Amino acid sequence: MKIPAEVKISDNGFVFNSKTGDSFSLNPSGLELMKMISEDKEIEQIKEVFLSRYDVDELTFEKDFYEFCSLLKHFQITVQDNPMDFS
Amino acid sequence: MEKQRITLAVTGLNNTDNPGPGVPMIRGIKESPDFDVRVVGLVYENLEPGIYMEGLCDRIFQIPYPSSGSDELIERIEHINRQETIDVLVPNFDAELFTFMKNEERLKSQGIHMFLPTLQQFQEREKHRLPEFGKKYGVKVPFSINLGGLGQITEMEDKFDYPVMVKGQFYDAYKAHNKEEVKQAFLNISAKWGLPVIAQEFISGTEVNVVALGDGKGNTVGAVPMRKQYITDKGKAWGGITLADDKMMELTRSLIRGTEWKGGMELELIKTKGGEYYCVEINPRVPAWVYLAVGAGQNIPEALVKLALGQEVKPMTAYKIGKMFVRYSYDLIVDLEKFAVISMNKEI
Repeated sequence: MKIPAEVKISDNGFVFNSKTGDSFSLNPSGLELMKMISEDKEIEQIKEVFLSRYDVDELTFEKDFYEFCSLLKHFQITVQDNPMDFS
Repeated sequence: MEKQRITLAVTGLNNTDNPGPGVPMIRGIKESPDFDVRVVGLVYENLEPGIYMEGLCDRIFQIPYPSSGSDELIERIEHINRQETIDVLVPNFDAELFTFMKNEERLKSQGIHMFLPTLQQFQEREKHRLPEFGKKYGVKVPFSINLGGLGQITEMEDKFDYPVMVKGQFYDAYKAHNKEEVKQAFLNISAKWGLPVIAQEFISGTEVNVVALGDGKGNTVGAVPMRKQYITDKGKAWGGITLADDKMMELTRSLIRGTEWKGGMELELIKTKGGEYYCVEINPRVPAWVYLAVGAGQNIPEALVKLALGQEVKPMTAYKIGKMFVRYSYDLIVDLEKFAVISMNKEI
């Protein structure tokens, strides 16, 4: 899962897709997640950070993570290189 | 360098909820570092807001609608020219363009320069000819049929599903969900804009537009793509944002190259979820949101005036991405005297 160059992420959580003109607001944990995705971090690495930093169990994190990823795909914020990659 | 003094005549000062491009056009040219411009506003109605906007026009003249006769309009322009010595005239209404194109040489012989599409360019992009246009220039367009009478609505139903877009030749578009709504739209539109009325396949997707300028030799002098962020109930953009979309830009350049488009244009496109672009309309003039292009770094109005004057203009390729415009309404307080003068004397 990649965030294309046309998607700009501001430090305050404002996300702008310059190709579609769509814009979104992220809350602090969404921004943290998005930044890690943009740094090409794997889900295992992201999970480790979130579990150590927040009061969340593994199952809840995974559920929320995949939901977040499907939202990113839906709004064309991410592109999928490998069609078998569901993360 | 000293600025070139020019007198510019512009129509379309109707900054209403269905705005014309006159006011943003003037705004763009006034920002030109190369022109010291004197503006002659040409209006059809005595309540066009541009008449009353302080510092916008130096003179205002009321002109007759093209429907009252081509000669009457042109003679009025000639009369105004005898007083004002117009260097460049920028017509901004689709409905008046035909008259100005037909009389381009006549006006040029009196020193009035314009930069308009050719008659062929103007006609082949007309809404009722869009399917042939799409085929000729390799652009996807929605399927459409031309309705000459109410009887054809049944015929239309055999060819496509609801909803359909019902459109007038020049303006107006309604989304109709059933036969009754098509009938109603047909009657409304044909009464205002005549026949044919166009029934167009509804393409679902995001509405995106490009303002562009062609030099008449196949080159794109300027082009800025935009997505409407806020749309009024008349379908007009009340807010928009510039995009980084190479496909839209290539589509624009290819159309301008293929048609050798001369003058301003607005491409109205629908981008489907699958990433395909359908051209739903080509307006043969700059749109009312043209000032967004100026704000994003391409002074298309200035370039259009330069081309009209026969000056060389280097193509503008860069623009700022993510620049927005937000339109607003504002109440101008006007003295009755000004309204009385334009109403009675037809000029200010």
